[in-house]
Amino acid sequence: MVTRIKVGTASCGIAAGAGEVLQLLRKTAEQHGTLSDVPIVEVGCIGHCYAEPLVEVETDSGRYFYEKVEPKQDQLRRILNLEEQGRFRPNEARAQKERTSIMALAGRIEPTSLEEYRGHGGYEALAAAHEMAPEKLVEEVKESRLRGRGGGGFPTGLKWRFLAGKESDNKVLICNADEGDPGAFMDRTLMESLPHLVLEGMLIGAKATGARRLFIYCRAEYPRAVKNLNTAIEQIRAAELNVIDGHAVDIRVKEGAGAFVCGEETGLIHSLEGRRGTPRYRPPYPTDYGFHGAPTAINNVETFANIPQIVRYGASAFTKTGTENSTGTKLFALAGDLQYSGLVEVPMGLSIGEVVFDIGGAERGGVKAVQIGGPSGGCIPAEHFDTPIDYDSLSSLGAIMGSGGLIVIGTNRCMVETARYFLEFTTRESCGKCTFCRVGTKRMLETLERITGGEGSAADIERLGDLGTKIKQGSLCGLGQTAPNPVLSTLRYFNDEYQSHVEEGFCPALECKALVDIFIDPDQCNGCKLCIKACPVNCISEDFVVDNAVCTRCNSCIEVCRQNAISRVAKGGAVRVAS
Amino acid sequence: MSQAKNNQVTFTIDGKPVSAPPDRTILDIAAENGIEIPTMCHSERVSRTTSCFVCIVRDAKSGKWMPSCSASVMDGMEIESSSPAVLEMRRTALELLLSEHTGDCEGPCTLACPAGADVEGYVRAGRHGEHRKALEIIKERIPLPLSIGRVCPRFCEKDCRRHVLDREAVAINDFKRFAADLHYDDYMEELPPLSGERVAIVGAGPAGLATAYFLRRDAGMSVDIYERLPEAGGMLRYGIPEYRLPKEVLDRELAHFKRMGGIRILCNHELGRDVQMAELKERYSAVIVAVGSWRSSGMRTEGEELARGGIEWLQELAAGGWQGDNPGETVVVGGGNTAMDCVRSAIRLTESPVHCLYRRTEKEMPAEQIEIDEAREEGAQFRFLTQPISLRRSGNRLVLECREMELGEPDASGRRRPVPIEGSEFEVTADTVIAAIGQKTVAPEELPTNKWGDVAVSEDDCRADENVFGTGDCTTGPATVVEAVAGARRVAASVEAYVRGEDRSLPPQVNVSRGHWQSLSPDDLTLLSQPAERPRTRQRLIPLDQRTSTFGEVSHTFSAEELAEEGARCLECGCTAQRDCSLRELARSHRADPELYRGAKGESGYDASHPHIILDNGKCIKCGLCVKLCGEVINENLLGFKNRGFETRIGTAFDRPLPHSCTECGECVEACPVGALDWKQKTLEQAGG
Repeated sequence: MVTRIKVGTASCGIAAGAGEVLQLLRKTAEQHGTLSDVPIVEVGCIGHCYAEPLVEVETDSGRYFYEKVEPKQDQLRRILNLEEQGRFRPNEARAQKERTSIMALAGRIEPTSLEEYRGHGGYEALAAAHEMAPEKLVEEVKESRLRGRGGGGFPTGLKWRFLAGKESDNKVLICNADEGDPGAFMDRTLMESLPHLVLEGMLIGAKATGARRLFIYCRAEYPRAVKNLNTAIEQIRAAELNVIDGHAVDIRVKEGAGAFVCGEETGLIHSLEGRRGTPRYRPPYPTDYGFHGAPTAINNVETFANIPQIVRYGASAFTKTGTENSTGTKLFALAGDLQYSGLVEVPMGLSIGEVVFDIGGAERGGVKAVQIGGPSGGCIPAEHFDTPIDYDSLSSLGAIMGSGGLIVIGTNRCMVETARYFLEFTTRESCGKCTFCRVGTKRMLETLERITGGEGSAADIERLGDLGTKIKQGSLCGLGQTAPNPVLSTLRYFNDEYQSHVEEGFCPALECKALVDIFIDPDQCNGCKLCIKACPVNCISEDFVVDNAVCTRCNSCIEVCRQNAISRVAKGGAVRVAS
Repeated sequence: MSQAKNNQVTFTIDGKPVSAPPDRTILDIAAENGIEIPTMCHSERVSRTTSCFVCIVRDAKSGKWMPSCSASVMDGMEIESSSPAVLEMRRTALELLLSEHTGDCEGPCTLACPAGADVEGYVRAGRHGEHRKALEIIKERIPLPLSIGRVCPRFCEKDCRRHVLDREAVAINDFKRFAADLHYDDYMEELPPLSGERVAIVGAGPAGLATAYFLRRDAGMSVDIYERLPEAGGMLRYGIPEYRLPKEVLDRELAHFKRMGGIRILCNHELGRDVQMAELKERYSAVIVAVGSWRSSGMRTEGEELARGGIEWLQELAAGGWQGDNPGETVVVGGGNTAMDCVRSAIRLTESPVHCLYRRTEKEMPAEQIEIDEAREEGAQFRFLTQPISLRRSGNRLVLECREMELGEPDASGRRRPVPIEGSEFEVTADTVIAAIGQKTVAPEELPTNKWGDVAVSEDDCRADENVFGTGDCTTGPATVVEAVAGARRVAASVEAYVRGEDRSLPPQVNVSRGHWQSLSPDDLTLLSQPAERPRTRQRLIPLDQRTSTFGEVSHTFSAEELAEEGARCLECGCTAQRDCSLRELARSHRADPELYRGAKGESGYDASHPHIILDNGKCIKCGLCVKLCGEVINENLLGFKNRGFETRIGTAFDRPLPHSCTECGECVEACPVGALDWKQKTLEQAGG
């Protein structure tokens, strides 16, 4: 018997059409005689974003997942009848490699149901924390060796000890939810799916550090997360769960306007204070001088989400997962050239290759590199895919853990263009304060544009390395200190691609528009004229010759050609095949 | 961090052991210990901005880089504030700032002046009626203002930005002429006492005179000038005709050199005849050869000996007091300024036709356009694309056989090469043929020469041999008076350094420029005020009949009214902060190259609507001092940052104009390290510094 129906309506689900599915499902269920009383609820994301919209039907005899559900009545009726067709079957390899601990309830419970969260043991850790001395709590977190999940990897326990050690009744604890890396959505998913988990972590933090004001600094582009958090905050206020040591701590969500640099802690504080979001020199660290001068600690969403389990099961249980210096699990947002994009929680120490191939389903031999750590991370080439994912191994390769963005770069991509793409983002997001970052990134970007545009020189390549290193040394915050990473790491691992661009005017991946022509192979062409119809600039003649002076390299013709007769070739007509 | 006793930490700065309280910044402690770390964004009066990163230092112990204005001292640090690596980082910071900095450190006129005169400065002084001040500015770099005020080819005017508005330069040289005419006789620069060092100069032309001037004025050296001709002045006297530069004016110019004391001119002393090089080398600390280029090049045609050399002909006229014989119908061959001088002098001596033959077209003529135009007004008959092949005598007349030419491909000079047209030969007859197609140097035998026959000197220090230096035309080939003056300043500095055994390295010039006027539109200009809309003031000339029959000076000096009117056309392109710009000073001292990171510039809009203050975003280095001063000290919060990243700029709320009351405070203007926020008034005190 069907007891409940759940529709994943986190942002990934909504984007895939879960809203329409939900609406139609309710209508269909009403018409479906026996199901009219069955609750149909919205839940968060289980991480398999590629399979959205996902619908789960709970029955007294088991649970049934359906993937890629379309808002069509006949399909929905089949689901309600628990038919086999359209069942979701997660890939086996992923099931073996992933380790869901903080994500255990994501997509399984109603995000804004306090009862359901409590029904699964929610706020038991907070209750346990109430019984513990703050010092003991801090000690427990320290022993867990939990490191900041926002990218820096600073030991959370240590940061809490700094704050706890301050004599002040005005201490502030901030949850950094300004997730800004393109392609990263770990924090969003957690806040949308499990707002109470994040809040519980924060409240434990308040107990441990003595903070009396809690902020969640969340980017305004996450309306669902903001909404769910605000609902959850109302609920804990009503349930007086925010009362710590007799004080009702103030907890509120502050929406940021979307500047990437506000994810940097001093920039975040400036923004929270209503000032221009720019970083400042540290020290003083926020624990000494933070929000309006008050001692302040800032932790990432995922960091807070890890706290309840540490308190509940103990530090020793926590350290059983992961490696010596990187304990616990890490959430990764997988994107790029792979089969299963989405969110995955893995134990620290899993190799890059396991995540890319086993979990992500990327084609073996079809991957050139991964970009780890967001736009300011580094590109790690395929030959290093056996490297374990932990803070120290990644930084030794010139990348960073970052917040958990992992972009798979296929062999068909140009690494110079890839570096240019990431640097374009950080250049745009520079706050403009430090000379090296403000002007230096712009000059690097211009240099990369020269190279991808076929006008680069050997001196340009040299300048990229020199200026990139100086920008890292001469910038105040993490943005400038890491912005050159994609360039520096590709210079390190893919130098031959740079050389090829400047020396031969050849893009080995045939991606850089200025360095390729479009060629229609007369031996393959069957004269169907689809390409001529598809061309937006009318640059293909009646006898199937492309006018490359007019062509914008949009690839429309290549995509429509059924004969595979059209391809990109090296500029100048010489037919060179992509390496 | 282990802190030493008494709440002091100990560390080193550039190897020097220092102890200080731990809450102080590296910048402060360094300053207290006599180590000055440059910074552009730091002020004691406001909270830290930490933006320019010019103050960056490195802790050798941790390997960490840090902005010294904000980083506190810590126990055990080993701070490097001036190691090569630190200086390189600092230079890169400056170069990055320069790469987004839009403006003109100096006006393009000033940059164009070979002598490096503060052109914008003396024009400003002139337009404000401060003619003595103008002369002072001029004489800083131009010791012969009476002459150059008349004969300069006006490099400054060719680059004048006024072209952008109405295609006509400000009449700059007339400012020089006016100031010199008015005040030259009663003006005397401050001179150091004579040092006792003695230097010989060979040649009392512009190069020799100017070198003597700089050595006397700037180094206090005594100078003896040996001149082979009966009177001093060189080309000014014997090459440039009276109608362009009256010799009475030249005499006034030379009288000043006498009044200065310490400069002796010995005429009728020819090197190799009346005085020997070995003797000069022996008797003087240094010898400077400035003998000019006095031999006309031949036409390299059959019968070329029948033609007069242009410069020799002019010299003879000059020696005769511009009273020469009637040359009859005259043909001058050549297209340079000497050719024009010959043509126009011949016109004044004869009623017969005077022709000028040139093998290319008027466009390629090296002569100044004004010379060509005035020659034509006076009746000169030009025949272009014509090359002489041979010259022969026929009775009383000379017959010049010529050939017509056409322009082919550009040659090394960029001008299109004239190519003979087969079968186009024709003949021209004349009474006098003057070849004015170039001049050569007759170098003293003792000195090394280059492939053009000029005295070979080191590019570094103008030295030819031992204690002998060379300057002027005899080292470069025929050039202009102002270029001779420019070379004089260089050789004088070299001689001073040589005589005194000092290291001589002039600080590199750093200049940011918006670019040449040809690449600019009116929107690219930053105008402090609306410039006057009026056409260029023309020099008034004497009547044409006098021009063709006498050697009287052709043009009049501007009147004071004309000068003021013309001055109002000046756009005052140079930066308001050119004398107190930290960026420029630091760029100079760190040898930063403004072009190294050349790329897109940021927003360059400006607001000059306030009566006294200009906000020029193109110059802003985003240090934020103005924002913080106005907010934290003045409590007005009128200024703030806008946009982000490379597009960051300073502005007011809704880009409203600054209130007029801002003039009373002016803190932002005074704090601005560059000219982004500045007083619109360019004071005369700023000029000439």
